[in-house]
Amino acid sequence: MQRSEFMSRLFERARQKAAGASDFACEACWSTGESFEVQVKNGEIYQYNVSEGGGLGFRALVNGKMGYASTQILDEDAVDLLVDGALENAALVESEDRQFLFPGSERYPALRQYEPRLERIDAAQKIEMARELERLTLAQDSRVVQVEDCAVFYESSETGIENTLGLKVSQRSNLIGGYVIAVAREGERVNTGFKLFFTMDPDEIDLENVAREAAREAVSGLDAKQAPSEAYRVLLRRDVAATLLATFSGVFSAENAQRGLSRLKGREGETIAAPCVTLMDDPHRAGSASSTPFDGEGVATCPKAVIEAGRLTTLLHNLKTAHKQGVETTANASRPGYAAPVGVAPTNFYFKPSDMGFDAMLEKLGEGLLITELQGMHAGANPITGDFSLAAKGFMVRGGKRAGAVNQITVAGNFYELLKAVEAVGADLEFQAPGTSCFGSPSLLIEKLSVAGA
Amino acid sequence: MILKSIAEQALHEALRTGGDFAELFCEDRRSGAMGLVDGHVENASTVRRHGAGIRVYNGLNSVYVHTNDTSLSGLLSAARKAADAVSGSAAVGDVRLVPSIPANAHPIKALTMDVAGSRKAKLLRDMDLAARAVSPEIAQVRANLIYWDSDVLIANSEGLYTGDRRVYTRVACAAVAEGGGESQSGSVGPGAMMGFELFEGRVDVVKEAEKAARQAVTMLHAEPCPAGVMPVVIDGGFGGVIFHEACGHSLEAQAVAFGNSEFAGKLGERIASPVVTAVDDGTLPGEWGSLNIDDEGTPTTRLVLIQDGVLINYMVDRLNGRRMNMAPTGSSRRQDYTFAPTSRMRNTFIAAGSDDEDEIISTCGDGLYAKSMGGGSVNPVTGEFNFAVDEGYLIKGGRIDRPVRGATLIGRGAEVLKRIDRVGSNMWMAQGMCGASSGSIPTNVGQPMIRVTEMTVGGR
Repeated sequence: MQRSEFMSRLFERARQKAAGASDFACEACWSTGESFEVQVKNGEIYQYNVSEGGGLGFRALVNGKMGYASTQILDEDAVDLLVDGALENAALVESEDRQFLFPGSERYPALRQYEPRLERIDAAQKIEMARELERLTLAQDSRVVQVEDCAVFYESSETGIENTLGLKVSQRSNLIGGYVIAVAREGERVNTGFKLFFTMDPDEIDLENVAREAAREAVSGLDAKQAPSEAYRVLLRRDVAATLLATFSGVFSAENAQRGLSRLKGREGETIAAPCVTLMDDPHRAGSASSTPFDGEGVATCPKAVIEAGRLTTLLHNLKTAHKQGVETTANASRPGYAAPVGVAPTNFYFKPSDMGFDAMLEKLGEGLLITELQGMHAGANPITGDFSLAAKGFMVRGGKRAGAVNQITVAGNFYELLKAVEAVGADLEFQAPGTSCFGSPSLLIEKLSVAGA
Repeated sequence: MILKSIAEQALHEALRTGGDFAELFCEDRRSGAMGLVDGHVENASTVRRHGAGIRVYNGLNSVYVHTNDTSLSGLLSAARKAADAVSGSAAVGDVRLVPSIPANAHPIKALTMDVAGSRKAKLLRDMDLAARAVSPEIAQVRANLIYWDSDVLIANSEGLYTGDRRVYTRVACAAVAEGGGESQSGSVGPGAMMGFELFEGRVDVVKEAEKAARQAVTMLHAEPCPAGVMPVVIDGGFGGVIFHEACGHSLEAQAVAFGNSEFAGKLGERIASPVVTAVDDGTLPGEWGSLNIDDEGTPTTRLVLIQDGVLINYMVDRLNGRRMNMAPTGSSRRQDYTFAPTSRMRNTFIAAGSDDEDEIISTCGDGLYAKSMGGGSVNPVTGEFNFAVDEGYLIKGGRIDRPVRGATLIGRGAEVLKRIDRVGSNMWMAQGMCGASSGSIPTNVGQPMIRVTEMTVGGR
C-alpha cells in the first residue's frame, strides 16, 4: 500500500486502540533510499552492490510514556504490528521522564541537500571512476604494488516525520564518494594508506589528489620504527583530531549528563577547554549530508557554539532532556534511522579553525610527535570516563619538520584533559564522512600525551 | 516465505545476461529491545525487517542487489538490475530448485519475543539491583536486553532451496563506579543462539551484573598502567579476542584470496608456537556464533585452523573459494539481507592446552595480567592489531600485585602467535559482535589462559 494511505490507516487504528488513554498522540518517521557501490581490483569489478528500500518507524505517546515499533513492509498486518507493538512497549516504560511529540516549528531553514547533477552520473561512469582511482593510485610510486580495495559509491535518501499534532516535514539528500586503500611494499616491509572522499558537488571530485594522499600515506610509513616510551608534545593531524572528537562527542549530550554518563553535568558556563578552543554544531553547513532543517523530533535546527573560547555554553538537548533541565531544546534530537528511538546527537560538529597552516603548526611543535592514525577507537577509548589508550602511527618531528615514521606505539590520555591541553588549533579543517552526525577538526597541538613504544 | 516457483523465476532472470551463478537470500526478521537506566525501564521497541538480496557471479566478479519488495515483480526487478551489471557468456538454462531442510542443532524452548514484557523488565531490574549492591560507589547501571528471530531462505541456480531459523538472545550490563572525582566502568554481555531459556541455568544475570560492578570498582581504585614491553598473561574467555584480531581475520578467505593477509600462501607452514591449536567451529549447539547452514546455504563445520602451530585451513566462502580454488567451509556470513556475504568467523578459539594457571603466573616474573579484555581491531595486510584491557593487574615477581587501568596491547599477529609460551587447560568462550565488510555478526571468541613472552603494553 502507498505510504500516505498506510500512515492514515496507522494513525486511525492507533486512535481506536488507544481510546480511553487520557493523553494520546502518535508519530510516523519514514525513510526511503537507494545506494550504489562498485569495488574494483586490478581493473575488474569484483563487487557491485545496488540497494533500494526503506521503512517506517512508529511511536505512540500514551499517558506520558513513549513506545516504539517499526517495519519494512507496509501492509495491513504491519498496521496492527506497529500499533500493538508501540502501545505494549509504551506500557512497559517505567521512567518518569516526561516524553513529548512536537507540533512543528513556525519556519524551517531552506537547505540545499540534493544535487540533481549527481543522479546523472550513471553506473558506467562510476565504474570508470573507480578504475581510474585504482590506476592513479598504482601509478603514484613504484612501491605501491597493490590496491587492497578501491570503491566509488552513491547514496540518496528521503526522510520525513508526520504526527497527529500536525507536524509534517521531509527532506531529501544525496552524495557521491569513494575510497582507496594503497598497499606499499619494500622488501619485507608493508604498509597501507587509506583515503576517502565524498561530496555533493561533482566538480569537486579530484581522483588524482585522493590517489596521491593514499599512496603517500602508505609509502611514507614503510620505514616506520617504534618511538621510545615517554610523554611527548603531540600534533594530532586533522583527521585524527576529528576521530577523537567523534569518539567522545557523547560527553556533550545532555542525556548522558543527566544519566551521570558525562563529567560535563552541570558545568555549563564553566571553562572546560583551553581559550583557543571553540566547538561548533552547525546543522546548516553547506555541502554536508548531515545538515538538516529539522531534528529527529521535527524541531527547526540552528547553528550554535557548544564551547566558546574554552567555556562550555550549552550541552546538546532534545525536548525530553531540555524539559528535565528547564531549558530550551537545542534541536539535537537524533534518530539514526526510522527504527531507532530518539536520542541526542550533534549534526556537523567541529572545532573552529584558526588561520595557522599545517606547516606553521609543525614549526610551533618543533620537537615532538605528529600522529596521523589512531586505531581501535571502539575498544581503547572509554566514552564515559574520557580515558583513551590507542594504537597509533605517525612521524617524529625534529626542528619543526617531519623526521622518521613511527608505528607500533600507543597514545594514551583523557579527552577532558586534552580539551584543556590544546596549545594551538590549525586552519586545516576537514570533515569525516557524514552519517547521522559529521565530525570535523583542524589539526590540534597538544601539550602532552603519553606514548608507549620501544 | 518465497515460493519455489517465484525463486526459480527470479534466479532465471538474474542469469539472463550470461552470469554463471545466481543466489537469492530472503530474510524476515523480528527483533526487540528493552533498556533500563537509573533503575527504570526507559525504552522498549519492536522491529520487523524484511527483504531479499540477489547475487550474480560472472567468473570472479560478483553483483549484489537488495530490496524490501519480495513480491514476484519486486524480485524480478532486482534480478534485472543485477543482470544488467553482468555481461557473461554462460548458457542460460532453466533453474530447477530441490527443497532441503537442514537438521536443527539449536532447538529453542521459549522465544524471547513471546515472553511477557514484565518478565523481561524484571530480569533487567535484577541486574540493576545486583550491580548496585556490590558497592555504594556504583553510581549508574545500564542494562539492555536484545533478541531477534530471523527466518532465512536461500536458493541458488545450482538447485539449492533451503532455509533456516536463527534465534538469538543477549543481555548486557554496564556499571559505572564514581569516587574521588573520577569514574570507571565495567561491563558484561552474555548471549547465545537461544531463547529466554538462556536465563534458566546458562546465564545467571545476578552474577554477571556483579562482575560488571566489581570490575568498575576495581578499576576506580586502580593506577594507570605503566607503558612498556613486558610478558603478558591473558585470561580465558573474551581474552580470545587476541586470536580473533591477531590471526582470525587474516585467515578469512576475503583477505587471503587477494594476498591481503600476512598468512596468504602459508598453508602447511608453522605460523604459531607449537603449543597453539586454534579452531573455528560453527556447529556448537546454542552458541552465539553457531549456524545450521551459513548464509550461502552450506552446512557449517568444525574447522581446525592451526594444529600444533601449523596452519592447516582458511575460512572460505563460495566466491573467494573460486578465487583460491578451495571448497567453501560453511563460513560465509552476513549481517542481514542488505549485505553480500563473505568469509567470516563463527566460534573461534584457541583450544585447551596442558599448562597450570598458577604456574603460568608464578613463572612470569614481572608483567601484566589481562583478566578482562575489551575489543580491538586489526589491519589484515600488515597484521597490526590493538586491543584494550578492561581489567588488568601488574604481576611482580610471579605474584599478582595491583590493578591497573587504561592498558592497551598492540603488536603484529605473526609475531604474537610465535611468542605464546603457555596455554592453560581450561577453555571458555565469550560473546562479541564482529564488524567487517559483510556487516556486524554474532561471533564467539575463546581461549584458556595464555602467556605471551613479550608484548608492547600501552599506558600512561
